[in-house]
This record gives sequence, C-alpha cells and structure tokens, in this order.
Amino acid sequence: MLNKNKIVVAAGLSLLTSLFTVSTWADTSQKALVKGHEYLAVTNYPDNLHLIDVATDKVYKTCNMPGQFGPGTVSISPDKKRAYVLGNGFRQVYGFDLDTCKLEFNAVFAQAANEDARAMFSFAVSADGKELYSVNNAVHKSIDHYTIQQPRLQVFSTDGGVNAKPIRSFPAPRQVYIMQAADDGSLYMAGPDIYKVNVQDGSYTVAIPSRNWKRENYGQPDVLYFWPHQQVNRDFSILYTAPKFTDASQNLETAEYKYGFFNVNLATGETETKDFGDVVEIYFTGQRSPKEPNLMYGLLNRLTKYDIEKQELLQAQELDHTYYNLHFSTNGDKIYLVGTLNDISIHDAQTLEKTGSISLPGGDMAITTAQVFIR
Amino acid sequence: MKHLKAINNKAKKMLQAIDEDKVDEVMAMSAVVGCTATTDPGWEVDAFGGVSSLCQPMESDLYGCADPCWWPAQLPDIMNTHPNWNKDAINSDQDWRNLNTIFPDDK
Repeated sequence: MLNKNKIVVAAGLSLLTSLFTVSTWADTSQKALVKGHEYLAVTNYPDNLHLIDVATDKVYKTCNMPGQFGPGTVSISPDKKRAYVLGNGFRQVYGFDLDTCKLEFNAVFAQAANEDARAMFSFAVSADGKELYSVNNAVHKSIDHYTIQQPRLQVFSTDGGVNAKPIRSFPAPRQVYIMQAADDGSLYMAGPDIYKVNVQDGSYTVAIPSRNWKRENYGQPDVLYFWPHQQVNRDFSILYTAPKFTDASQNLETAEYKYGFFNVNLATGETETKDFGDVVEIYFTGQRSPKEPNLMYGLLNRLTKYDIEKQELLQAQELDHTYYNLHFSTNGDKIYLVGTLNDISIHDAQTLEKTGSISLPGGDMAITTAQVFIR
Repeated sequence: MKHLKAINNKAKKMLQAIDEDKVDEVMAMSAVVGCTATTDPGWEVDAFGGVSSLCQPMESDLYGCADPCWWPAQLPDIMNTHPNWNKDAINSDQDWRNLNTIFPDDK
C-alpha cells in the first residue's frame, strides 16, 4: 500500500511539474498582433521584448533579443508592424517584426574594426517609417590610446536588413540624447539645446534653447531625460528644473525653483517652454494627459498631477517603489508606470490610484522606454 | 602652483585654456554621455540635501544607473569593462546578494 501511494504521489507531482514547465516556457514569439488592439511594448533583463495587451493587462507575447541588454529603449514603426530597440549596450538598433519576432533590421553604429560607438538613447524612426536616425558618440581605439571622434548623425534605410549601413552621415552636436522625427520630415534632437535637423544635409537650427536660453529672471535650466515617449498627442516633451529669481540680484539662495517642460509638437512644429509647478520633489518623466492637455503628470517616487496654468499640484499618489517612466493608454484613462524593477504598476489617470500590476517574466526593466500603440 | 607641471595631454590643455583666456568655455556636463564623471547628486543625498527624492529602494536605481555608466567609481562599469557583473542578479531587489565586488585581473 505504501509503495502504491508513493507511486501515485510521484506521478501526480510529475504531471504537475510538466504542466507548470509547459506554461512557463510557452513560446509566444509567433503570436500575431490583432488589428485594432492596443499594446504596451516593454523590454527587460535578460533579453525580453514583451507585448502587453492593454485590454487585459496581461503579457500577450514575448520576443527574445540578442546581445547585452541595455538600455532596451523601444520605438514603434509608424505602421505598428515593427519594434526598434536600442540594445547590446547602446551599440546598435534592432528591428523586430512584431508578429513573428523575426529580426528584420540591425544597425551597428561602429563603422570600423577599431571603432566603438554608442548612442545615448539617441535614435528615432522617420514619420514615414522609411528611415532610422541615430546620433552616436564614436571613439577610435588605437594600441595605446583612444581618440574621441565628433559625434555623428547616421541615417539608415529601414530596408537595410540585418547588416544595415548608414546611407548618410553628418557631424552632430555633442551631448545629444533623445530625439523624435516630425511629420514634415525634420528630426528634433535634444542636446545642450533642442535642435531641428535637416536629415538630408545634416544642417540644424535651435528649435528650443535650453542651456542657452535667455529667459528673463531665470537661471540656467537643468535637464535629465532619457525616455523618448511616442505620445498620443504627438508631443515630444522633456522636463526641466530652473531657478526663477525673485529680484534683480539674481541670487540663487532666494530663487524659487520651478518645474517646467519643453515641447515640440511633431505634427505642427509648434514649440513651448512652460513652467508647471514648484520643485517639491524630483520627477524623471512627465507627460500631459492625451485628453486634458492642461494636466501634467510627473513620476519618480510618487505619481503626481499638476494644473499647468495654475502651476498647482492637484494630486499625489504614493507608490510601492520608484518607477522611472509613465505611459498613458491611448484614451488617456490608464497610466502604466514602467522601468526600474520588473513590475509594471497600473493607475487610474483620474484618481491616480493603483488599479493593477503586471509582473514581467525576467528581470529588471532598468532604464527602458516602453511605448503604447494600437495595431 | 608654479611647481606643478602638466605631464599629460589633458593637463596641458588646461594650461592652454588658461593662457588663451578660455576657461569660461569649460562647462559641466548636463547629460549622460556614458562613463563620464558627473557631479549630479543622486546616491548619497538628493538635490534637496535629504534622502526622500533618492530612488527607493536603492536597487530600483541600480541598473538604470549602471547600464549607461552613470555611477562611475560607485559601481562596476557594465557598459564596457564588466558587462556580466549582474548576470546572476537580473532581479536586483531579490538577487542583489549575487552582485560581487570586482578586482583587477592581476590580483
């Protein structure tokens, strides 16, 4: 009797184990996206590109990516068929077919055997989907010394395949980070200032001064922004903090510190520089509501909501831990908090309360940028 | 100062900047450019001199900083020299005990 019971228990355990194994390691890479459905694309350690179904807030499918994870910044092609991911330690951009996970595009920034080149979150897809842009910082590695090169804007054809080479290359300003392509064919890139670039000849003008702004009674702004959200309202926005002086002495000790945002609307080209509140805490990202543009949401250790015109903090929501970046659902009702560890926190945009959580297979999301889109 | 002598290229460039009255052109970096020393606070103390605006817990900020080499001298350089430092700790809040101190290869 004892032996029979042991066999039954062992068989049961074996069955349970095999069922668990099948469900954990199910390959969803060939699962096609459904037209009209909304997805959140997000990456995490060690090598994952996940697609979250926004209707159910569950992982719909997972693609595996080659190379060293990082940063994992995602950009979705205009036709919503391909995800571009900055990866392999900032060395290259991968392009994955979202239906099959097939690697269709791969652009390594370094162009010579003794060259290393990294893009500090600097890549963007053209509005027509035909070109991919990157500003990357190159160094020549000789036997006994390195030589820093001029940063360059590289232009790739998105038909360039898995060994894509630049079809154009131009000198670029130093310290360029995030960028977005506009509907008129120009490229906006953020660096010491925010530049508007002609991608045909590499020439650029200052669209929005940042480090070099001449704003009366303001000191120089400070910016830290590595998350190029593809926003529903076509905004390309970056937060800043800046001291606003209270008198002619321009004394930093008595200045009021303001949070604000730079914005370029990628559809119209309209630019803005606007304060939205006092600096009471740090935010890493912020976005305006897709349906209520007077509301600015900020995030790091709390999720907050501001009335931009009144420069008033309206609401603040405590969080389980720090998150780096926030993403609205297309209708603006839901906010996904992404980045840092491996859980996505879901919040109601009206109340800011937490309504759910998604635990991603794999590890930390770290400094990734996710994107929400409708196929 | 007159007894100090520039012996590498960067030190010589500093003297050149002083001679050409171009010291004001040297500016602190305000963007992450990978493996470059910064003075941006964010680990020991936040911008307000306290700790409430530091990332919570500290592990949540670990790879977001180490991946782009934002914490020079604070963490191993994942971007270049130690890309496998966190291979056994992809969930930093659970597996941080697997993150080890690094040593030069010849020690």
